[in-house]
Amino acid sequence: MTAVAGPEGASGASVPRSARTAPVHPTPVWAVARKSLLLPAFWLVAILLAVGAVHLISVLREAFLEYPKATALTVALFAVYAIPFWLFVGALDYLEREPPLLLATAFGWGGLVATTVAIPGNTAVHNLLAKVYSPEFAASWGPAIAGPTIEETARVLGVVAIVLIAHAQINSILDGVIYGALVGLGFQVVEDIVYAVGAVDVAGRGDDVGPVFATFFVRGFLAGLWSHTLFGALAGFGVGYLVVRGDRSLARRAGIAALALGGAWACHFVWNSPLLAVEVGDNGYALIAVLLAKGIPPLLMILLLVRSARHREADFYIQQLVDLDDPKIATPAELHVLSMGHLRANARRHAYGRAGTAGRRAVRRLQRAQARLAVAVSRSDPVAAGRWRTEVLAQRGRLRVLGHLEASAPDERTGSLRRRMLYLLIGIAVMAALCVGVTGLS
Amino acid sequence: MRVARGRLLSNLLGSLGILLTLGLIYAGLPALDRSLPADQPVSPDRPYTVGGGVTVVPPPGAKIDVTQTRPSARQGTVLFLLGKVRYVLVVTPFRGDLHAATDRLIRKIVRAGGRQVAGSERSVDTTAGLYGRQGDYTAKERGGRYAVFLVDGVSIEVTVSGSDAELSRVSDEIAASTRTIAYRGGTS
Repeated sequence: MTAVAGPEGASGASVPRSARTAPVHPTPVWAVARKSLLLPAFWLVAILLAVGAVHLISVLREAFLEYPKATALTVALFAVYAIPFWLFVGALDYLEREPPLLLATAFGWGGLVATTVAIPGNTAVHNLLAKVYSPEFAASWGPAIAGPTIEETARVLGVVAIVLIAHAQINSILDGVIYGALVGLGFQVVEDIVYAVGAVDVAGRGDDVGPVFATFFVRGFLAGLWSHTLFGALAGFGVGYLVVRGDRSLARRAGIAALALGGAWACHFVWNSPLLAVEVGDNGYALIAVLLAKGIPPLLMILLLVRSARHREADFYIQQLVDLDDPKIATPAELHVLSMGHLRANARRHAYGRAGTAGRRAVRRLQRAQARLAVAVSRSDPVAAGRWRTEVLAQRGRLRVLGHLEASAPDERTGSLRRRMLYLLIGIAVMAALCVGVTGLS
Repeated sequence: MRVARGRLLSNLLGSLGILLTLGLIYAGLPALDRSLPADQPVSPDRPYTVGGGVTVVPPPGAKIDVTQTRPSARQGTVLFLLGKVRYVLVVTPFRGDLHAATDRLIRKIVRAGGRQVAGSERSVDTTAGLYGRQGDYTAKERGGRYAVFLVDGVSIEVTVSGSDAELSRVSDEIAASTRTIAYRGGTS
């Protein structure tokens, strides 16, 4: 069933975007996680994750025996590296959070299953290119052909597997984006770990941590922002569309999903392509320019898709609160604030300025409770709705005691502009430092 | 707690689809790769580009294994096959001296399993003026030789392996080939 938010036609109110272009399917109350245990897909994924884990452990075990210090540092660095990405991706869906176990499954698929499968697949495609064309062709074009073909296929299957395990949890296109991004993140982290350990081996200086930092810098920072996480998000968008847009014909949905997967393939192809290739150490400025030229167009495209999907989903859940028509639950200003991440952050900052840490904490809890209440209402779950309604009122009471009556921010525009200028300056400084750093890697 | 039969069936079909696709990638493509021959003839009359600016004239009768041969601008690998003798050149950027480059190759040889470096190390040079070190190693029922050259931040590793009888049969041809190794077409 597709829940359509808000009054339509007769009331004269405008129909929300979510109803027109991106229907949201709230998880039904009867959907029980334990039911997944009865599904073949669950056991398939469990077995594949176990096989992938054994494979990764065997790879890391060898590396630990040979280079204990460098391998430990590699694992620690990339584990820490994954945290902000994970938090960012997870926070994309503030209003309707995904179950942590499914997020972990997506990450595990990318890091354990997709990497395990991709290694022999990539090697085989490289070899076939060398046999059919030439070793020179395989060396220059192999990564651009084998990488996207094998890896995007292996990764998108992870999102499909999650759909098979927990179809009811795919509520909107945004959910497909999130699971796809986490599959990509898992892949990226494990691949980077393997590359870093390989770099230590190739350097031939024993248990030296220098190559680990160099790999972390190049693959983590220079290439990390627009790498597998981004490609996975785009492919996941297609799966999300295929699952959620039941109002469209199957052919159209399959076409969009294929287009998204093709887009991920194309972005990955361009990224790995020998065209516009600059070797690390040749010229830091040229390398940065090439990375930006190859990375920014897909990054912007995917960010726009994500932004659109987020806003449409937010429209739906905000409408649940609008329908309650209760200013004690959410005032019109708070409803506006709740729909966008930077406005929520503005409101928390504003509360901090007026009522200190207690004010910020109360606004954060109020926002979270409002979001959970919206989800509970959309699911027609009276028990959860009652619980979150009580929490909203409790936080509202706290704010009133603190003299802060509304969780909104009056001067968003000025604050936002100032912050953006600060981010821009920091970005320019970071880019300059990267150029110097990359030139020094030669 | 039950799941409808229709959903179970579609879930099973979807799972099989995933398994089949992964199987094709994991096992199907490698099987297809193995079904095609990997060795290709190579001309012994002109220098072969290994990669990273390094060339070598192949021994007469040698073929290359294209699955182990990857030339590029900064580095490269080539595997020549002379019967069952494997003659490998690996070119990589390297920060360090010749001693460190030799140590790195010896570690690789030993780590490959059951191999031990035998005898003393000797000097070796090429007609293009590259200077390096060479030595021998032994393994169960097989023997081998190695050589390392270092030029302009690039290490050139040479390893030869095969049974003693096979090695002695092509030893002179391989030694002659090794002497033709050149960097950027000339001397260091």
